[in-house]
Amino acid sequence: MMITFGNVSRFYNNWPALESINLQVQPGEFLVVSGPSGAGKTTLFRHIWMGDLPSTGTVEVAGYRSDRIRKSDLPFLRRKLGIVFQDFRLLPERTVFDNVALPLQVAGTSPKAIRRRVFALLAEMELNHRRGSFPHELSGGEQQRVAIARAMVAHPVILLADEPTGNLDPEVSRMVIDLLIEINRSGTAVILATHDPRQVPAGTARFLYLERGRLVNPGVWDGYKQL
Amino acid sequence: MIHLIRNAIHEGLLNIRRKLGSFLITLLMVSLSFMVFDIFLIISWNLGTALKDEQENVGIEVFLSDNITEVQAVILADIVSGMEGVRSVYYVSPEEAEAVFRADLPEQADLLTLLGPQFHLPPSIQISLHPDYRTSEKVGALARTVSGMDGVEDIVYGKEYLPGLTRAVDILEKLVILAGLVLAVSLSLVVANTVRLAVARRALTVQIMSIVGAPGWFVKVPFLGEGLLTGVAGAAGSLLLTLAVSWMLSSSLPHDFLPGRWIMLVLILGASSGAAGSWIGMKSGIPKPRS
Repeated sequence: MMITFGNVSRFYNNWPALESINLQVQPGEFLVVSGPSGAGKTTLFRHIWMGDLPSTGTVEVAGYRSDRIRKSDLPFLRRKLGIVFQDFRLLPERTVFDNVALPLQVAGTSPKAIRRRVFALLAEMELNHRRGSFPHELSGGEQQRVAIARAMVAHPVILLADEPTGNLDPEVSRMVIDLLIEINRSGTAVILATHDPRQVPAGTARFLYLERGRLVNPGVWDGYKQL
Repeated sequence: MIHLIRNAIHEGLLNIRRKLGSFLITLLMVSLSFMVFDIFLIISWNLGTALKDEQENVGIEVFLSDNITEVQAVILADIVSGMEGVRSVYYVSPEEAEAVFRADLPEQADLLTLLGPQFHLPPSIQISLHPDYRTSEKVGALARTVSGMDGVEDIVYGKEYLPGLTRAVDILEKLVILAGLVLAVSLSLVVANTVRLAVARRALTVQIMSIVGAPGWFVKVPFLGEGLLTGVAGAAGSLLLTLAVSWMLSSSLPHDFLPGRWIMLVLILGASSGAAGSWIGMKSGIPKPRS
């Protein structure tokens, strides 16, 4: 298993942000986690990249267990993950190239290898002509593609996308979802958090629904049209 | 690993370049604070040197009886030279004393002529002391021993100013240490505040770096480097400013600039204040990553 949640609960001042979550994600799987705002989608993601640890239960991600992980292990776990946020989180004072190169720089990759990989990825994502631009010079769709490129540049085994289309118009949203599907087809496990699961075509992913920190109807989603 | 270290240093330099204006203002502030310390050090150094020179001259002059023969005086000098704390002893005959008097006080030379050929200045022994024996207590003890010896008429040593001199050197040394400590603490706080502001300014960068897998030290090194550089460059800048002021005042107020080891002390103080400031700033400033 790539990710295992074993009876995970997380409380903030006795308020349950996550409650009794049991979940397994296989390598190369596409998982869509939906639910209303405040349902716990982001908290679930934080537990995957271990920015937060469970109050009870354990999370295991790519061989790292939440109850055994040391602070010094966190960078190595996070290098196996790519994370995309709703608000892009691009560094405003850096160019597209530098933003995308960041995960490789912090991993100690040589400048030559960084250049090769970033150029190839930007070309693949049709962003090569924008490599010298700053984030504020890009459209929302372009910014999110840059954020996805940054998440993918170090060949992660899991891509976490937390409401990546939340700030985009429907047409650009569709392009971003298509891009995530394509990434998944190339073998990367993708976990997408969205309040609107209808964006993802049925049959391409496993759907989960979170409500008040609890997984409702876990398993293969077969009724998203009823939402 | 080499690339990682290089990238961390590059990141630090990039951060300074991006906020060059505020970095230079901080640098100027640190330089001016250090300059006050440098000036204090120069005053202390020159005062200390003058006091030490004075202390260097501390000795005992033993005036002998008029009727003592030269042979007896030499024997006496020989006994004194064997005493603890005595570095050397020099016998001054009446003739040499007169020659010295005439050379040192030419305007009063007539006095000797008026007193006539039967008047002689008394012979004396000049005692030079080892540095450790130049304190008022030790000089006083030796003077009392010598004053009890046969043929000794009078003893002169700086009993009035010696205790004050010893105390002054002692206080000055303590003041330099105290001022250094006060400055180190206040500069650490200035640097800590600067680093805290820099961390707050780069909160997003710090968070993203942590999320994309940067090791803790990679995030911290640029801030530590910035603090260290602020401290060392601020100290070096203050030395240059102080040197310029010292050069401008040198003709009207002759003095020595700081010796090499004191310059090193200022730079080390700058580096340690900078490093301590960075550490404090990072400890309270670096945010935890959030999503």
